[in-house]
Amino acid sequence: MANVTVSETSLQQKQTFKKAKENTVLTKRSRGEKALFGIVFTIFVLYGLSLVMPFLYLFVNSFKDGLEYINDLNGGGTLSAPDKWLFGNYLEAFTGMTMIDSMGNEVNLIMMFFNSVWYALVCVFASVAASTLTAYCVSKYKFKLRGFFYGIAIFTMTIPIVSATGAQFKLADTIGIYNTPLYPIIMNFSGFGFNFLVLYGFFSNIPWSYAEAVFIDGGGHGTVFFKIMLPQALPTMLTLGIMSFIGSWNDYQTVLLFLPDFPTLASGIYRIEQSITRGGNYPIYFAGLLISIVPIIVLFSCFSNTIMKNFTVGGLKG
Amino acid sequence: MPNTANLSQGEKKRSMKKRSQTIFLICMLTVPFLQWLIFWLYVNLSSIVLAFQDPRTGALTFENFRLFWEGLTSPYGEIKIAVRNTLIYFATSVVVMMPLSFIIAYFVYKRIRGYKAFRIIFYLPAIVNAVAMVTAYTNFIDPKGPLGAIVKFFGGQMDPEGLLAKPGTATWTIVLYTIWTGFGANMLLFGGAMTRIPVDLLESARLDGIGAWKELTSIILPLVWSTVTTVIIVTLTGIFSASGPILLFGGGAQNETTTVAYWIFAQVYGSGNVGGSGSYNLVSCAGLCFTAVSVPVILGIRKLLERIPTVEY
Repeated sequence: MANVTVSETSLQQKQTFKKAKENTVLTKRSRGEKALFGIVFTIFVLYGLSLVMPFLYLFVNSFKDGLEYINDLNGGGTLSAPDKWLFGNYLEAFTGMTMIDSMGNEVNLIMMFFNSVWYALVCVFASVAASTLTAYCVSKYKFKLRGFFYGIAIFTMTIPIVSATGAQFKLADTIGIYNTPLYPIIMNFSGFGFNFLVLYGFFSNIPWSYAEAVFIDGGGHGTVFFKIMLPQALPTMLTLGIMSFIGSWNDYQTVLLFLPDFPTLASGIYRIEQSITRGGNYPIYFAGLLISIVPIIVLFSCFSNTIMKNFTVGGLKG
Repeated sequence: MPNTANLSQGEKKRSMKKRSQTIFLICMLTVPFLQWLIFWLYVNLSSIVLAFQDPRTGALTFENFRLFWEGLTSPYGEIKIAVRNTLIYFATSVVVMMPLSFIIAYFVYKRIRGYKAFRIIFYLPAIVNAVAMVTAYTNFIDPKGPLGAIVKFFGGQMDPEGLLAKPGTATWTIVLYTIWTGFGANMLLFGGAMTRIPVDLLESARLDGIGAWKELTSIILPLVWSTVTTVIIVTLTGIFSASGPILLFGGGAQNETTTVAYWIFAQVYGSGNVGGSGSYNLVSCAGLCFTAVSVPVILGIRKLLERIPTVEY
């Protein structure tokens, strides 16, 4: 027991020491460099402002009355504060912003929000699960088809197949998954993409001696995978999951093409934008846009450290 | 005698072990493999078949290739414009965005003041819904919007048509947009690779009196080279599949700003609306031709990049 605590404290000490060293090495600068960093800092601030400003613009204008916005637009005063802050615009965006699906039903923002959530979760689960299975087996087991599987992964990653969208569309239609929730589950259960590469690299670095210890205790391959390997891989899987969540949340093209009657926030708002007329109520549309990006920003701020730490990819050699 | 018994028991054990491993592997890999067989291999093979089929009768024909060639070579052919724009976007992303995001990643890695905030703000365009991003951008550059006001302030006058409606400026306006929003993802990958560099290396280089530029180009770059090549290859692989935000810009000059991926999307999406009677065949044919052109290019570049030795650490 005592041994463990001692080694733990020394480990902690080591880590704080390493952090402190990183700090001094990475922040030590000569005078010339200080000037350079000052200039770059100014550029960064300006660029950062340019990224934030348009959203500020949307934000301010999302509280305006529809007519007021058009008047401001014609008078060149779109950056001015609204006459009256209409917080009700946000409520109206939720219920009043609708699009019509192919069955003639009205779909509002609440429905789209719901679609976005399940669509993104399904995509995340399918893609991370599949690539974990393949990456683990290919990196940890020596079997006859191992080279073949690794070959598939590298092949599909680096051979650019330009759009089989037509054939994909036909197949989805034929087997009846077009415009059904099955489509994202099946299509994303793909074990050989970018996720494979990241997880393959990760599993390769975990020593196999853990597994041997389990075998000696009479455990099987399943025990090794679920009890030993998966828990260690969770941070990496979480990172990939968040990245894929963000991607799926924002993916409007796939949803437009293959799930037209399940509009997500991204695809639904796109279709609303297409149908908005010149005299339409833009402030409410802006409010809807902002609503659609808030969950992603919250998610990313919560996990940004995890993402930065685990998002690494090595070479493509094999 | 007991010796051989032992041996056969050992063998038995080994073959049992082998069997349980095989069963485990089959359980794990069957579904992903089937998925790949159907939705990658079959889809791509049938895409090749589609390219040689007549849309109506399904008979073998080279008509699709003729149509494709026409679109590619006639002066105002859609495909020709799409290829031109795709190459412009690609060149921008490799020549402008990749080096810039590498440099940005360096300064963030070196903990420039406020680096934590910059890291999140610069990554925003990669995580925010592109529809929102494009709406914000188009409203901002509207002649009646803030950009118009800024130009007026400096005594200029913007064309009331707007930058996106004019064929001459439309593509470049979108290129500017892709640069403006395009640093995030690569910055993150490069940054992630940099944080894995042992700081001792940088420290000893510093003691040798190395400056920022040397540190970036002759120490950090070789150390993260494998990540850089992967990013280049992946970008290259996606060249004809990345449509850019063209769909969202819409507007008057859409024909002028189209890309290969957008053109393909539009063909299938358009046909999807009228019940799947569309030009899958032409799309598949175009896909086949672009694949045939880009495979050797990419394999060549990959070989070339692999020539440069990577540093193991």
